[in-house]
Amino acid sequence: MVLSKNIKMKICLAASAGGHLTELLKLADSWQQYEVFYVSTADMVAKKLQQYGPTHVVGECNRKHLLRVILVLVRCIRIILHERPNVIISTGAAVGCIMCFLGKLLGAKVVWIDSIANVERISLSGRMVRHIADLFLVQWPELVEQYSDVEYVGAVI
Amino acid sequence: MIFLTVGTQFPFDRFIRAVDNIFDQGLIDEEIFAQIGETSYKPRNFESVASLEKKVFDECFKKASSVMSHAGVGTITVALKNHKPLLVMPRMKRYKEHVNDHQVATAKKFEELGHVLAAYDVDELPEKIKQLSTFTPRKRVSQVQLVAGRIAEFLNGVSIS
Repeated sequence: MVLSKNIKMKICLAASAGGHLTELLKLADSWQQYEVFYVSTADMVAKKLQQYGPTHVVGECNRKHLLRVILVLVRCIRIILHERPNVIISTGAAVGCIMCFLGKLLGAKVVWIDSIANVERISLSGRMVRHIADLFLVQWPELVEQYSDVEYVGAVI
Repeated sequence: MIFLTVGTQFPFDRFIRAVDNIFDQGLIDEEIFAQIGETSYKPRNFESVASLEKKVFDECFKKASSVMSHAGVGTITVALKNHKPLLVMPRMKRYKEHVNDHQVATAKKFEELGHVLAAYDVDELPEKIKQLSTFTPRKRVSQVQLVAGRIAEFLNGVSIS
């Protein structure tokens, strides 16, 4: 059964600490009427994020450290099973990518905003998420010519 | 005060060491405060910490006359917002400073648009540091409302079953 869009929707906002998170927070106006929770990578941003909503810190991980990736993956699985979001919104990087794939498996919609740091091509995480994203935004117009199914409406910075 | 910051995910000793050396040569006449990540390198010429809480980071930024950093979008964003002259040096994969070389492209793009100064190697640093004291960054017109609007439109169309 499809319910009215006014029904409470839960959104997972996932971004690594640093530029990814800065970019994500700039978009806060878009989800202000919905229930949200955050997933990020470092304790130093947790305090700030807790002002905006429930926050999960899963630790840093990248493709160079496989064990860390597994540890973070396990934490992300626990979070997604507990929170059951309807939508995942992410600006990257690895943690955002993991949350998008886990969310998709549970039927969530996926919104990806590729970081403005990616000028010449989409990020590695973005190139993977592109195949499952329901909305994929890039921040440089040149990138639209290189990839299908990506949209450019502007840059967040 | 010049604020030197390189983020926390990987060390960026090549940059910190170069600034330290340039300081030795007497080419920097301002005090420096540095955030240098988890690293064994200890600067001789200025005070440094591994990481800073976001709030303290923002305060350092406000106090600084200019900023030097890796070519990370987080720092570039805060610099543009505070209209601070910023000199970036991109992290390179070949020195194990990042997983790829995307910071080079980021630096080039923002440099081209007149928003930052960029040094692509330590050799270019002394000259760029000299330029930093008189550099006026071009203001950036934000399109964030367009992007937020697109996402809001998408969310409005999502039906939960």
